[in-house]
Amino acid sequence: MNIKLIISIAKSLLLARWKQTLVAAIGVTFSITMFITLLSFMSGLNDLLDGLILNRTAHIKIFNEIKANPKQPINLSKKFKENYNFIQSIKPNGARQEIYNNGAILKALKADNRVMGIAPKITAQVFYNVGTIDITGVINGIDVEAENRLFFFKDYVTTGNYIDLLNVPNSIILGKGAATKMIANIGDVIQITTPKGDRIQLKVVGYFQSGLLELDKVQSYASLATTQKLLGKPNNYITDIQIKLFDITQAPKIGKEYAKIFGTDAEDIQTANSQFETGSSIRTLISYAVGITLLIVAGFGIYNILNMMIYEKMDSIAILKATGFSGKDVNAIFIIIALSIGFFGGLVGLLFGFGLSSVIDQIPFNTASLPTIKTYPINYNPKFYLIGTIFSLVTTYFAGMFPARKASKIDPVVIIRGK
Amino acid sequence: MSQIVLQAEGINKSFHDPITIPVLKDINFSINKGEFVSVIGKSGCGKSTLLYILSTMDTDYEGNLFIDGESMKQKKEGQLALVRNAKIGFVFQFHYLLNEFSVLRNVMLPGLKLGTYSEQEVEHRAMEKLKILGIENEAMKMANQLSGGQKQRVAIARALINDPLIIMGDEPTGNLDKKNGEIVFNIFQELAHEFKQTLLIVTHDNEFAKSTDRIIEMHDGRIIKC
Repeated sequence: MNIKLIISIAKSLLLARWKQTLVAAIGVTFSITMFITLLSFMSGLNDLLDGLILNRTAHIKIFNEIKANPKQPINLSKKFKENYNFIQSIKPNGARQEIYNNGAILKALKADNRVMGIAPKITAQVFYNVGTIDITGVINGIDVEAENRLFFFKDYVTTGNYIDLLNVPNSIILGKGAATKMIANIGDVIQITTPKGDRIQLKVVGYFQSGLLELDKVQSYASLATTQKLLGKPNNYITDIQIKLFDITQAPKIGKEYAKIFGTDAEDIQTANSQFETGSSIRTLISYAVGITLLIVAGFGIYNILNMMIYEKMDSIAILKATGFSGKDVNAIFIIIALSIGFFGGLVGLLFGFGLSSVIDQIPFNTASLPTIKTYPINYNPKFYLIGTIFSLVTTYFAGMFPARKASKIDPVVIIRGK
Repeated sequence: MSQIVLQAEGINKSFHDPITIPVLKDINFSINKGEFVSVIGKSGCGKSTLLYILSTMDTDYEGNLFIDGESMKQKKEGQLALVRNAKIGFVFQFHYLLNEFSVLRNVMLPGLKLGTYSEQEVEHRAMEKLKILGIENEAMKMANQLSGGQKQRVAIARALINDPLIIMGDEPTGNLDKKNGEIVFNIFQELAHEFKQTLLIVTHDNEFAKSTDRIIEMHDGRIIKC
């Protein structure tokens, strides 16, 4: 089969009906453009929403849950071993939230090569005092540098400098909501009450805005040392260890392993935030479904146009066959016509898709809950462009396959004698 | 003894729709190289049907057909297409040029398909064929810009491009006026006598037939004079 000749015939047939060809190609272009834009935008949004949680959530959190001891004395007793024991009104015992022997644990974690980084943390329940009113709040004592490195702390400090937590003694970064409630400006000194009843004054060095409004009304941040001091604890006191892994998918497995080794509770991110993954995957599914539907509609357009072309070109096909072109050659001609509509339409579609996504990327998108976002999010993943290319070729191939087969089966005798 | 180009052996054909009607009955004849043969007969006597069987486009028949000594009966569609491409040239009643292409390109297409020569050579040969037919000045025009007689001459040039063993014509002058018909007829004469081209032309024009070397006359699906 002489490919060059086949292509030149296909090209001539295409150009002879260039208006129809253009309409068909525009169909493909439009659908690929929308496919790319939709997926880039949807995926950008997904990343944004996931990032809202994932960036700031530890892959594994090691902590001590306040809960009843699973080893109750009656179950340990040999006498009642055969019985099924019902115990009522169990209370949690030894309610110490701190992680024992955390120096050794931190050292072990640092040595583990699956771990990207660790950030110790203290969670302290406090009351913010506003005049005579007490507002419940949580102060997170953090290792400021580790927190910034692993969880992008800086991005969420909207006013003030995060590093002041280290530089200014007894300082606090207030949640935006909490600050508004307390009418606390930068540089002001606020008063809090610790669970033990001590009153402590802290200097406001910044505002923190997470994007989750409820959280910002409650959460504030201070350095580890400040928090230890306000709780009256020694400097080895920490309640949580946040771990970031190189491979997030390993989190459940490694989490279980750590819980066993260190004798603490360990919560992995998949368990804690399963709803986000579900949401993302469904949004992605919908975008693909819409994109593929568009392409299939474009495919029907190509099918129609090729069918019409074949009816118009009956004579030409018959004479090609009479002068020595086989059914295979004719089939190849029409497949090439379909594929080139798909290829060029798709190529322009990819460019337009990229252009449209770039335009969307420039549209201002300011929302109080997302301080780091200034424009609509777009994900320029090359994967979408690859999928778009493949889909445009596959749908146009199928759209061309049936008309091409029909053309290849044309009997030249019937056409030529019919005149 | 001259070489046999085409041989038909006991060819029978029937149409089955709506009832079985035999159209060709026991056709036996052969054509030698360089012969100018015409097939005549009344309308419906099966002469065109016979031509399409001989041209390998119609494969639904009984009996056997040899072209250049090779049996066509066992060949598949793709192989038959190759035989048509290399060994048979066609001229139909209607010119069947492709309007999307220039005259030159129309003539070149079967040559390019055959692929024996490079594109430049095929182009050169196509120009030569057009010169023989006296239409080399129209080479760059699109096919639909030509007159009916010119188109038919282009169709003949196209039939000649691969130097076929045999040229088959189905009423090649049927659609033309007297003047153009004569031109085309003279071309066939020239091809037969000067270039020793084998020709098999189906016609109902008895005058045309009379000036050919040999007349095959058909009646009711049988050859009555060979």
